[in-house]
Amino acid sequence: MKWIGALLLLIATTWVGFELANQLNNRPKQIRQLKNALQIVEAEIVYSQAPLEEAFRIVAKQIPNPIASFFQAISQELLQQTADLPTIWEEEIARFFPNLALGNDEKELMQQFGRTLGQHDITQQKKHIQLAFTHLDRALEEAQDNQQRYGRMVKSLGFLTGLFIVLLLL
Amino acid sequence: MYQEAAVLFQIAGIGIIVAMIHTILKQMGKEEYAQFASLIGFIIVLIFVVNSISDFFQQIKSVFLFQG
Repeated sequence: MKWIGALLLLIATTWVGFELANQLNNRPKQIRQLKNALQIVEAEIVYSQAPLEEAFRIVAKQIPNPIASFFQAISQELLQQTADLPTIWEEEIARFFPNLALGNDEKELMQQFGRTLGQHDITQQKKHIQLAFTHLDRALEEAQDNQQRYGRMVKSLGFLTGLFIVLLLL
Repeated sequence: MYQEAAVLFQIAGIGIIVAMIHTILKQMGKEEYAQFASLIGFIIVLIFVVNSISDFFQQIKSVFLFQG
């Protein structure tokens, strides 16, 4: 009985460690997807001169899932015209970002970017997208740095803490 | 007798694990956390040892002073 408990505890803490490492691994990936999304939005706005609703729908088709559903939801809301874009954008960010691996920096960044969407003409809009893009670049660098430094540490630390607690309680 | 040996092994295990945590944290450049982890490990082991020593003194007392 004692050993079963010890094993469960060990599995739980190891799992926590792996989950944290997973979070660290997913953050750069999702930032990269966001960058891709911004690029597509820019292309749609500048070259096809598509309305935002259509641009977001195209983005949602080309990007892997957690980010895609964000843009999909915004496109849907815009289509139904439930509210104006800044409100929708804020709402969807508040709804989706807790489920993503992204940090507060990226959230703030996207919120600021959302406030500029649809306010300017094409050249201005392009500049704003470029600005958000460079900010995301910086965030990506930082996220990669964190991933390399702490990814492995978190894993082994989870396992070792479990072992430690088991030994204490034995 | 088995009980005492178990305590010894437990302390040895804690020592090894704390040493590993210390090494990993130090490798990742978290010196202060490494020191902190070692300190915590040391305090926990100290508590174990103090318990054992208090048992030991109780034994001596019961032998020489005829107390419970």
